[in-house]
Amino acid sequence: MRRILTATTALCLAALAAQADELKLGLATAQTGGLAPYDAPVVEGIHIAVDEINATGGIGGSIMIELNEKDVRSDTAQTSISVQELVDAGSEAIVLPCDADPSIAAAAIVDAAQVPAISTCASSPTLPLIGGDYVFANFPGDNVQATVSASWAFEQGMKSAFILYSPDSQYTTMPLYFADVMKALGGEILGEATYNIGQPDFSAVATQIAALDPVPDMVMTSAYEPDFPTFIKALRAAGYEGQIIGSDGIDSPTTFGLGNVAEGVVFTTAGHATAGSPLEAFNALYEEKTGSASETVFNAVGYDLVKVLEAAVMAAGSTEPKAIRDAMANLEDVQGATSLITYRGTTGMPVRQVSLIRVKGGERELVGQPSPNADLIPAPRMQ
Amino acid sequence: MGANDIDLILQQTVNAVALGGTYALLALGLAVVFSIMGLINFAHGELMTIAGYVLMYCGIAGVPFVLGVPLAVASAMLAAMAMERVAFRPVRNASGATLLVTSFAVAMILQVLFQNLISPRSQPVIVPDLLGHSITIGGLVIGVNKLFAIAATLVMLVALETFMTRQKHGIAMRAAAEDFAIARLMGIRANTVIAAAFALSGLLAGVAAVLWVSQRASVDPLMGFTPVLKAFIAAILGGLGSLRGAVAGGFVLGFIEVLLAAFLPSDWQEFREPIGLSLVVLMLVLRPNGLIPAATLQAQKA
Repeated sequence: MRRILTATTALCLAALAAQADELKLGLATAQTGGLAPYDAPVVEGIHIAVDEINATGGIGGSIMIELNEKDVRSDTAQTSISVQELVDAGSEAIVLPCDADPSIAAAAIVDAAQVPAISTCASSPTLPLIGGDYVFANFPGDNVQATVSASWAFEQGMKSAFILYSPDSQYTTMPLYFADVMKALGGEILGEATYNIGQPDFSAVATQIAALDPVPDMVMTSAYEPDFPTFIKALRAAGYEGQIIGSDGIDSPTTFGLGNVAEGVVFTTAGHATAGSPLEAFNALYEEKTGSASETVFNAVGYDLVKVLEAAVMAAGSTEPKAIRDAMANLEDVQGATSLITYRGTTGMPVRQVSLIRVKGGERELVGQPSPNADLIPAPRMQ
Repeated sequence: MGANDIDLILQQTVNAVALGGTYALLALGLAVVFSIMGLINFAHGELMTIAGYVLMYCGIAGVPFVLGVPLAVASAMLAAMAMERVAFRPVRNASGATLLVTSFAVAMILQVLFQNLISPRSQPVIVPDLLGHSITIGGLVIGVNKLFAIAATLVMLVALETFMTRQKHGIAMRAAAEDFAIARLMGIRANTVIAAAFALSGLLAGVAAVLWVSQRASVDPLMGFTPVLKAFIAAILGGLGSLRGAVAGGFVLGFIEVLLAAFLPSDWQEFREPIGLSLVVLMLVLRPNGLIPAATLQAQKA
């Protein structure tokens, strides 16, 4: 009898090991080109998390994560090609670039192959809606960020705004959500202007804003580098002295190195390393692994992504792609480096904490981590 | 029209002159090289990126900005000469298309090197706070960096004019631009004059880079793309190969961009770029060889 027991136990263990000893994770991210500033740090965070998990024997101590990495060069067509290659190579989960547009281009492929895909840091709430059941995001949505910053500004007594946005990408239209929330709260939008990503000069619109009568209490934009520094310098040089509100795209060393012009800027981002927080622990781990301090929250966002996948594989109890997708859609309160992450009850846009940061003396100051009023969050804007 | 409106127009004019001046320097850099060897150097923007990175490293090393600027400009000059020696000299007598593709290759190789050896992310550049200030003249609020841009453009244009008309190497360059074969028969060394043209274009790229970077306070691997595109448009508009044309094209492009951004109704703002480029096309329809065509241009007029 004992013999039979031993034999069956050994067989069971062998079967378990053979069935699920690795998770094939395909990375189709931009390591060169315009999205590289965001994807490259996220992938660094992914590596740190994967190494950490594999060092302990894999997910649940048994499923090693095997990475297959492709550079999509920030190109939409190349993203489709790379994702198709990854699917053909048997990837059981796929990571997409940090922008809704190339991610949407890959959505049809992952949907047909029934492989779950998660964008590194795209924040457009339209992504999982257009992308379908197999596409997930990994960042606080644009509409949520805008609700947090507009509600904060309104509470501070700032009620009139000017918005600057760009129709060039989904992300850069975040100020339109901000305007919706501001109006819903009873505030006023005194004007709006558009720009092109990479526009060399913002002095014309800055002059226009500074000459407005009455002067708006705040100017909101989701412009990021190099547009944001150019814009804010032009705006301050034109004599505008009101509040400037930005978003996660400016969570970068440049913003903190701008000196006087950026003093007092408030922006929303994915996390803040308060004492004792998981983000502080992650930053310490990052410094230990790479030898330099993490200069952006996008490193931690990559760590978050792998933690989400880990939790999904644990919950699914297998590495079968459809099972991972179903488990992922039901995840609740996964502890990432930046925040608790929940997908249950969403369309694939995670519920995560948003941090409001103020630039003060070249350092970051936490203004708050408020939970937005769900009734105020605008519906995703389909384009 | 009230005093306020006039102030606004004057203010936008200052903005347009400052932007146009930067474009003029960029277009001149392209034109100097094109006039002599028929090469449109799309790696011109990467010379700016190199100058930007030098400014960044100077900031990190604690070198004051006033010393960082000449270092950055010098590095762009050296890089331009190195580029000529390594990449363009071997293909000097090849067709225009070969030269063009070579310049694209140089640009891409440099971009990938910046991304992999420095950082794919933007790096902050420390710019003196003074450049973020503004001064008030009458009702006009003028940014200090605008004044610097205008002053730098003026100094560069006057210096270049003097160099080209009074100085031996400048005259040799004009001769080479007019007829390279005859110039060589007159004893002008091809290597020297081409190297000088690249050095000059590097100087112009370096100065433009300082103006560009001091506006944005950051430098990234792909920074050179937009300026070289604008320079290309300005150089074509002015008349490819013509130095005065490049300056005119730069200023016209700057005025078009700023005035459209300032005075186009807000519903039309989204179409600002196509409208601006349509104006450029319209001018080229009326003056196919550019605003001030190069003297040696062989193309038929209309």
